[in-house]
Amino acid sequence: MARTELQNLTISEAAGLLERRALSPVELTEAVLQRIAVVDKKLNAYITTCGDQAREVAQAAEKMIRAGYHLGPLHGIPVALKDNIYTRGVRTTAGSKILGDFIPAEDATVTARLKRAGAVIVGKTNMHEFAWGGTTDNPHYGTCRNPWNPERFPAGSSGGSGAAVAARTCLGALGTDTGGSIRLPSSVNGIVGIRPTIGRVSNHNVVPLAWTMDTVSPMARTVEDCVLMFGVIAGHDPLDDHSAQVPVPNYVGELTRGVRGLRVGLIHDYSLAHVQRAVGDTVRAALKTIESLGVEVEEIAMPSVQGNISAQLTIESCEPSTYHQEWLRTRATDYGEDVRTLLELGEMYLATHYLQAQRYRSVLRKEFLDGFKRVDAFVTPTLPFTATPCGATTVVIENGQEEDMLSAIMQFTGVPSLAGLPALSVPVGFDAEGLPVGMQIIGRPFDEGTLFRLGHAYQGATDWHTRAPSV
Amino acid sequence: MNPQQPVAVESIDRLCALANLPLPAERRARLAPMLADLVAAANELSRKLARAEHRAIVPIVRFPER
Repeated sequence: MARTELQNLTISEAAGLLERRALSPVELTEAVLQRIAVVDKKLNAYITTCGDQAREVAQAAEKMIRAGYHLGPLHGIPVALKDNIYTRGVRTTAGSKILGDFIPAEDATVTARLKRAGAVIVGKTNMHEFAWGGTTDNPHYGTCRNPWNPERFPAGSSGGSGAAVAARTCLGALGTDTGGSIRLPSSVNGIVGIRPTIGRVSNHNVVPLAWTMDTVSPMARTVEDCVLMFGVIAGHDPLDDHSAQVPVPNYVGELTRGVRGLRVGLIHDYSLAHVQRAVGDTVRAALKTIESLGVEVEEIAMPSVQGNISAQLTIESCEPSTYHQEWLRTRATDYGEDVRTLLELGEMYLATHYLQAQRYRSVLRKEFLDGFKRVDAFVTPTLPFTATPCGATTVVIENGQEEDMLSAIMQFTGVPSLAGLPALSVPVGFDAEGLPVGMQIIGRPFDEGTLFRLGHAYQGATDWHTRAPSV
Repeated sequence: MNPQQPVAVESIDRLCALANLPLPAERRARLAPMLADLVAAANELSRKLARAEHRAIVPIVRFPER
């Protein structure tokens, strides 16, 4: 295989070749670094690249594998990390000017686990400043762009990770997801992303956005690749007080169980309501495919779902404003205008608003847990529209009516975030302009395995995930 | 207070004073209409949560391991 094609390998494909010594980690890493050098000028998906360190790690991986020590499916695999995840000795900016010179003395737990598994970290990806926003239009490190159309946004806040995976400038990446920040860029960049159950993956040494909703997780081109990364980073961490002591199943083994007999729910007057026509049509077609695999689809009423956007905005305003309280008073002009405004607004809610929003989460979660007595997962689009032009602050979803981007973008992803449930975004097609559409599958607490099974079965029946942008 | 305009610039002034958050006047003026929309939505949610059927509901800030 020519070096220029190596970056097109999935993690699973590359892992097989590396284990059989048919491919060298050095070759693969060089191909990816070369691809970054060529493509990232157009996309700005990376804030920092780590070429020298990546080459050293790749050489060490090569020596180990040659000596007969294969650490597993990530050994020698080039990956990227969102720039709010600590990397020892490598600048970690969180997309901000405020942390522009911050070089952590420690790794995040997820970084350490990837390193122990032999992954090669090629760089730190661009993001919405402090993860507080959904566009990755970053005032300090430049606008990140969508590889399917560089005039369109990659969503966010993990937009750099999404663009990098889609553009083949890494084989997989980590993002963080508070209200949708993994799933939104996964959807608009045509890749797979999983938001885990809160507590499933450690948040230790990850710059927080909203403590009660933050999660870290993989983004990759296939569900199988997500599973390979997720299996490495999931599991209890004594360094994270919110980390759960729940056993991690063998997700790879579960993938082969198939999906016949599973039941999927559509939420009445919500799952397919208020979406761009192309998004609705594409998700309906994906549901037909899932039904053809032996999955039953039924509609379920969930009246409380309608309050989700206000609850999410309230919590996502108050918690970041608490974390940023000191900097907002001492370094206000170092924030971008949008984030500064949101942080100021977050200081002005009443405590009762915040607590009612947290009570709302209990109501929403109970409705979901009741729903899970009838179905194994719920389906919605990941977001109600496809990628908007870079810099847009409003979006038209239907009837020509302009809506505020921040509220519109969290229409579907906010719900599992609030309810503390896992959710997977899978690419399910394209609109007439060739922009990807994603479908969100929401699961029971700690049942990421069923989401992986559904997504993997869908990808086995379709080829959307094999298409590449021409950037 | 005008119920149609629950957040006036003066409200922002008072909130900034309470929070010890010194903001320039032009920023305070800009925040008022934005906060008005957010507070209206938050108040609507509070009304829903005040219903009798939700009286026993407690806030979730940490999820159970099940």
